[in-house]
Amino acid sequence: MGYAIETYDLTKKFALQKGFTEFLMHPFGKNEITAVKKVNIKIRKGELFGVLGPNGAGKTTLIKLLCTLVLPTEGTAYVNGYNIAEDSGKVRESIGFITADERSFYWRLTGQQNLKFFASLHNFYSFDAQKRVNELLDIVGLKNRADDRFLSYSAGMKQRMAIARGLLNDPEVVFMDEPTKGLDPGAAQNLRGFIKERIVKEQGKTVFLSTHHLGEAEQLCDRIAIIDEGEIRVIGSPEELKSELTKPNSTLDDVFLHYTGKEFKEEVAQKHPYPERRRMMREGRRGVMRGGRIGGIRF
Amino acid sequence: MIYKKAVSFIKRDLILATSYKFEFFLRLFFMFFSILTFYFVAKLIGGAGAQYLEPYGGDYFSFVLIGIAFSGYQMTALRGFSESIRDEQMMGTLEAMLVTPTNTSTIITLSALWSFIFTSFRVLVYLLIGVFLLGADMSDANLFAAMVILVLTIICFSSIGIISASFIMILKRGDPINMLFMSTSELFGGVFFPIAVLPGWLQNISHILPITYSLSGMRHALLQGYSLHALAPDIIALVAFSVVLVPLGLLAFKYAVKKAKVDGTLVQY
Repeated sequence: MGYAIETYDLTKKFALQKGFTEFLMHPFGKNEITAVKKVNIKIRKGELFGVLGPNGAGKTTLIKLLCTLVLPTEGTAYVNGYNIAEDSGKVRESIGFITADERSFYWRLTGQQNLKFFASLHNFYSFDAQKRVNELLDIVGLKNRADDRFLSYSAGMKQRMAIARGLLNDPEVVFMDEPTKGLDPGAAQNLRGFIKERIVKEQGKTVFLSTHHLGEAEQLCDRIAIIDEGEIRVIGSPEELKSELTKPNSTLDDVFLHYTGKEFKEEVAQKHPYPERRRMMREGRRGVMRGGRIGGIRF
Repeated sequence: MIYKKAVSFIKRDLILATSYKFEFFLRLFFMFFSILTFYFVAKLIGGAGAQYLEPYGGDYFSFVLIGIAFSGYQMTALRGFSESIRDEQMMGTLEAMLVTPTNTSTIITLSALWSFIFTSFRVLVYLLIGVFLLGADMSDANLFAAMVILVLTIICFSSIGIISASFIMILKRGDPINMLFMSTSELFGGVFFPIAVLPGWLQNISHILPITYSLSGMRHALLQGYSLHALAPDIIALVAFSVVLVPLGLLAFKYAVKKAKVDGTLVQY
């Protein structure tokens, strides 16, 4: 069977910056941190694969490695059969990357202008670009707001723009880095429906998704890899993972605890001690979020 | 297809620049100020430096007009590439561009294109004001020769700019190439005065800077109407700089991108 993504002992170490005293004491000593450690995964075409782990577990680094933004220290990986280090251009031709970072757009350009610009980077120009952009704006339900500046969009609309951009080149593999981050529960739920129904089931794309929401992973993914401190602890479907535990009615919390020895929820909570206050402040700055529809799904 | 991509970058930057309308018009308005300053300095100097200015037609205002106009290309090259990287890093758009099939060197080069277009527009405005309002004499100009010098100048300065951008890619701030060229060019490159004014040992420094040949060639072409044959020394010097600097710039940038990808600092600032 052809795999969409294969990794073999994929490892990434980052050099840590030394303090002045440390530099003087050990000028040639190396301080390194291993962000991704000997990752071996094989993802089938058309699969919705999730990487679940707390903040700092290595999810984003793993995605950046596979998207050719970072070079591996050891090991190798293939995306759509192309080596990420040697055929990085071919890899980028066949992938889409969707990030939750709303800063990755030009805020003073309209939605349409943004997409047309990024289409040109995917080698779509003039008529072809306009046609593709129109299609995507229609798919994500932003056709009516296409000529408004990106800065006027709500958080949900910005995220839909990120999806439209990630699909510009009709990629075989779509990487999503915490796609529902920053969305309210309703918008997040609708986005999950869109990913599963439209992108995976209808369009048959392979989706590699990172998340630190257990419910999201469970609801969306065909298979999940639990990652902690850069290492994949276990891979399996949510049902398989839960059924392997002896405890009756196990949840993914239990699975995470079993394989990492850590309470998942507590760790997330420690990273964001005041999630409600953060949400209110964010919404206060951006105003009330306006709803929309994508592909028949409210979001 | 590269030209279509270039058009996309220019369109993007034009829309972004004109979306800040007040700043856009301020920049246009203040162009007049620096040119007027040198016009009055020239009036004050009069014929005082005639012996040094004779090879350039003898008029200080025409001499300095070309100096300030075309030295802008060096500033643009030194800042344009590195600032475009830094701006995209700070805006957060660099990562989204780097996951597309367009390679990093193309993205960085095309991102600086708008700066060169704006600089060319500014040079044109300077020359038009200088000639039509303030009496600079360019009636003998050899425009074709000036274009040849201009193309070589842009190639040469862009290579230095790309080396500078390579440092920014790795160091993020404190690029030594930018500081070196920015601090030495006005003094040694002949922007405000002919390098003949400098003592002989300082002129040696002038001769290792591309801007010296660029401004010399441009002044001879526009003020004295020199032919390509007469401009050969300046053209040969600029070609020689380009032959060394273009591959050096491309290699430096390739190395910088690889290092940033290994270090995982490509989008950090």
